Amino acid sequence: MFGFLKKKKSASLAKDRLTIAIMSDRDRTNGYPFMDEMKAEIIKVVQKYVGVKGVEIRKEIDGDMEALAIDVELDKNI
Amino acid sequence: MGIVIAVISGKGGVGKTTATANLGLGIAMNDKKCVLVDFDIGQRNLDMILGLENRVVYDMVQVMDGEANLKQALIKSKANENLHFLAASQTKDKSVLDSDKVKKLVAELKESFDFVILDAPAGIESGYEHTIEFADAAIVVVNPEVSSIRDADRAIGILDSKSAKVKEGEEVAKYLVINRIVADMVESGEMLRSEDILEILNIKLLGKIPEDRGVIDASNQGKPIILDKKSIAGQAYVRIAGRLCGQKVDMKDIEISDAGLFKKIAGIFK
Repeated sequence: MFGFLKKKKSASLAKDRLTIAIMSDRDRTNGYPFMDEMKAEIIKVVQKYVGVKGVEIRKEIDGDMEALAIDVELDKNI
Repeated sequence: MGIVIAVISGKGGVGKTTATANLGLGIAMNDKKCVLVDFDIGQRNLDMILGLENRVVYDMVQVMDGEANLKQALIKSKANENLHFLAASQTKDKSVLDSDKVKKLVAELKESFDFVILDAPAGIESGYEHTIEFADAAIVVVNPEVSSIRDADRAIGILDSKSAKVKEGEEVAKYLVINRIVADMVESGEMLRSEDILEILNIKLLGKIPEDRGVIDASNQGKPIILDKKSIAGQAYVRIAGRLCGQKVDMKDIEISDAGLFKKIAGIFK
C-alpha cells in the first residue's frame, strides 16, 4: 500500500538532477559578464612585450575556493 | 511601433515553429497586425506549418541583401488577413546573417506591424544570436523533459548577454511556454510540474500547452491547430495569444487530467 513512498518519483529526481546540472553550466558558461572585455585588455597588455595568439579564461571552483585560470597562448612568429 | 518577440528554445524539436505559427495566428485573430519571420536559415519550416510553402517567391535574406523589397517578399496568410509571413532562405547558410542587416529589417517591420515575431533556429550558434539581438522580448519554449530544460537555460544565458537591450542597460522580457504536457504523467509524478520548471529556469510563465495528437494532423494539412476550436492545444494557444495582446486570461490548469479532476470534485462531497 505504501509502495509509492519507497521509490522516489522520477519527476522529483529530474528536478534534483536538473538543478545541479544547470548550476554547474551557469558557473562554467557565464563566469562573469566582463570576461570578453577582460580578455581583450589582457591581450593588449601582453602584446606590448610579446606576440599573443589568444587568451583563455576559466572560472574554476573547488569546494570553497574559486580561482581564475588565465592561459595566454603566445604567437611564436612575432 | 510594434513589439519584437523572438521565439527561442535550446534544443530543437520542442515545438518552437508550431508555437510561432499558432501564436501569430492567434494574435491576428485578436485584430492585431502580425508578421512572422523564419530565421531558421537553411531549414525553412514555418512555411509548411502555415500552409504557405507554395507561395514563397522571395526570402528574408533576399530582402536584407536588397534583391527584393519587403512588399514583394511578404506573404499574406490564407487563414487571416492580419497575418503576414517572411520565409527563411533555404539555399544560403546561417553565416549570411549580419547584425546591421537584421537590425534594418526588424526596424522596417516594426513600422508596419503591431507584432514582429521571429522564429529562431534551435541551439546557440550565430543564427540564434542574430535572432535575439534586436528582440524586445523572448518566448522560451520547452518540453517538460530534462534535455530541453537544460538547453533552454543556456539559450536564456546567451539572451541575457547578447541582447542589444541588455547591452543598453535595459532588461529583455522573457516568458516561458511549456509545450506537450501530459496531465496524468504530471499527476503520477512521472513528469516535471510547471512550478518546478519555472523555479529551475527562474522565469515567468506565459502558458502551458497540453500534448495533443491533433498538432501533427494540423501540420500535415498546413492549418495551425489554433483554427480547430475543439482542440485542447488550440485552446491553449488562444489563451496565450490573448495574454500577449494584453487580455487577462487565467492560467487554466491543464496539469490535472479529467480523471484527476473527477477525483477532486468527488473529494468535495466526501
